[in-house]
Amino acid sequence: MSLKAYILALAPELIVLFGACLVLLLGRRDLRRQPPAAPLAAFVTLSVALGVAFLTGVPEEPRLVPGLWLGGLTFYIRLIGLAVGAVLVLVNWHQAVEDERGEYLSMILFSLLGVLLTASADDLLVLLFALELVSVPTYVLIALSRSSHRAGEAAVKYFFLGALATALLAYGLSFLYGVMGTTALHRVTDAGVVSTLGGGSALETYALIGLLLVFAGVAFKMAAVPFHVYAPDVYEGAAAPVTGLLGFAPKAAGFVALLRLFDACAWDLPQHLFWLLWIVAAATMTVGNVVALLQTNVKRMLAYSSIAHTGYILIALLVGPATGEGPLRDGVAAVLFYLPVYGLMNLGAFALIGAFRIDEREPETLDELAGLARRAPAESLTLGVFVFSLMGFPPTAGMLAKVFVFGSAFSAGSAHPHRLALIVLAVIGVANAAIAAAYYLRIVTAVYMKNEGCRCLPAQGGPIRLGLLACALPLLLVFVWPGALTHEARRASAHVHPPTLRLAAPALTDPPPTPVAITARTVATSTAGQP
Amino acid sequence: MLTIGLMHYLVVAAVLLCGGIFVMATKRNAIGILMGVELVLNSANVNLIAFDRYLCRAGIDGQILALFVIVLAAAEAAIAVAICVNFYRVLATIDVDRATKLQG
Repeated sequence: MSLKAYILALAPELIVLFGACLVLLLGRRDLRRQPPAAPLAAFVTLSVALGVAFLTGVPEEPRLVPGLWLGGLTFYIRLIGLAVGAVLVLVNWHQAVEDERGEYLSMILFSLLGVLLTASADDLLVLLFALELVSVPTYVLIALSRSSHRAGEAAVKYFFLGALATALLAYGLSFLYGVMGTTALHRVTDAGVVSTLGGGSALETYALIGLLLVFAGVAFKMAAVPFHVYAPDVYEGAAAPVTGLLGFAPKAAGFVALLRLFDACAWDLPQHLFWLLWIVAAATMTVGNVVALLQTNVKRMLAYSSIAHTGYILIALLVGPATGEGPLRDGVAAVLFYLPVYGLMNLGAFALIGAFRIDEREPETLDELAGLARRAPAESLTLGVFVFSLMGFPPTAGMLAKVFVFGSAFSAGSAHPHRLALIVLAVIGVANAAIAAAYYLRIVTAVYMKNEGCRCLPAQGGPIRLGLLACALPLLLVFVWPGALTHEARRASAHVHPPTLRLAAPALTDPPPTPVAITARTVATSTAGQP
Repeated sequence: MLTIGLMHYLVVAAVLLCGGIFVMATKRNAIGILMGVELVLNSANVNLIAFDRYLCRAGIDGQILALFVIVLAAAEAAIAVAICVNFYRVLATIDVDRATKLQG
């Protein structure tokens, strides 16, 4: 295959990669005199990459590049990742010390590149490195985001827990490799690994250990219980605009990685794993919402809300791909719809905090935001949109996202093996959404109902206001015209589990070096699996 | 005579993993914690090489993955040291128990 074909297939990723390197250089000394150079280059890079991704459309040859699977999911994640990324750059325009802005913004681009690659990963190696590419820049971003020692402390906490999660992920992947006999994800089902599960063989134990540890590693990135403990501290310590990134990039990458892995298992999860995920989803929602009720610091409150939202998305992940006809039955599409909507509403809420200063720092507590509506009516209105969207109220996209998630669980067809369990989980989710309204409304009350003079001053810059608008408008527009986004999400979801493609997969790829050995091993394991 | 099999390697890796997690949980020095992380990553490497040798004879995927995990460990160490220096500049210590500003 020619180099040109490779470059065309990966054009958006390559543009982001080169853009990130360019932005890194633009932050250096000689060019420092033009402060907007680095942010402008970052914004243009992401816009161009978005345009190219949109024009090239869904890749036609999924197996063109070894180790990658380029399909509908790739296309969808490219669109939402780059669009949310462009807004992120707007919001972070004036963040960090001027000298360090080049490094800072290039880290945002690298992290987004990781999200794009996760969606295409078809190899354990690519998956591990794509997930790392998402996380490692975020450690640096937190440390660079502001020169307070709370940021330094948050970076240390996030780094060491993140490094442990990565190490567990690598350890888990080593077991999956042992079971699969290859690192290529699409060969899992071909090799008949899943059919050996349930036989009580040693390989089954390895597969279960592997999946559990991989889930633990990914759960950290998604901030799911019990790996959520870092989230409030890190969200509080980092500057608000970075926190918007933390709520989108690692979470999206984590869910997309799980989609890729479950897809490789043909959505035929071992029973233990299903129930474990069920418990994790229920606990994540409940812990996030209940503890958020006790917070007075808005950043910590939003951190717990971020944990709760992970729980909601996990419901739809457990539903899995569509089990029948019907607009709401597709859990994968619900996950994919939720990710950009959550990314924008969470980013918007944090961007608003970053748009104000009180004694040279960001306003953090509810008291500090009290009466903001009188001082800044326009910004307060966008805050209203974000909070109602997080709450799941009309007229915002947040409501549709919740409807799709809960709807997918309620309408899971009788063909679904865990129909009742999913309905119970969705009921827990709806109850949680009601609890959540209590603390979200406290933010709105503080901003609109309190009459005390607010000491908040607007922070520097128009880009951040443009960013606020770019977060709020899509949330309202998607509510009015959800068609475009839901259509894309469904199309991506249809590509996530392409049975025909999977059967044809070995023919499309290079033959494995010694196919006989794999077959022999498979035969040996499937006989060992039978009592 | 005892032959060394897959299980022996897996046990060694599991011991390394537990050792690494123990180090991470008990060390107060940030560099010490980093050593714990390296131990856990290397337990993954031992696993990968052992699986490659005993179960997955078809290719060298496991060995390549292990090489890349070593690269990953090096990259993480670089970030870790930078973050520790940053931490030292504000607190004049790398004792992580002194990181108590953020608690809720």
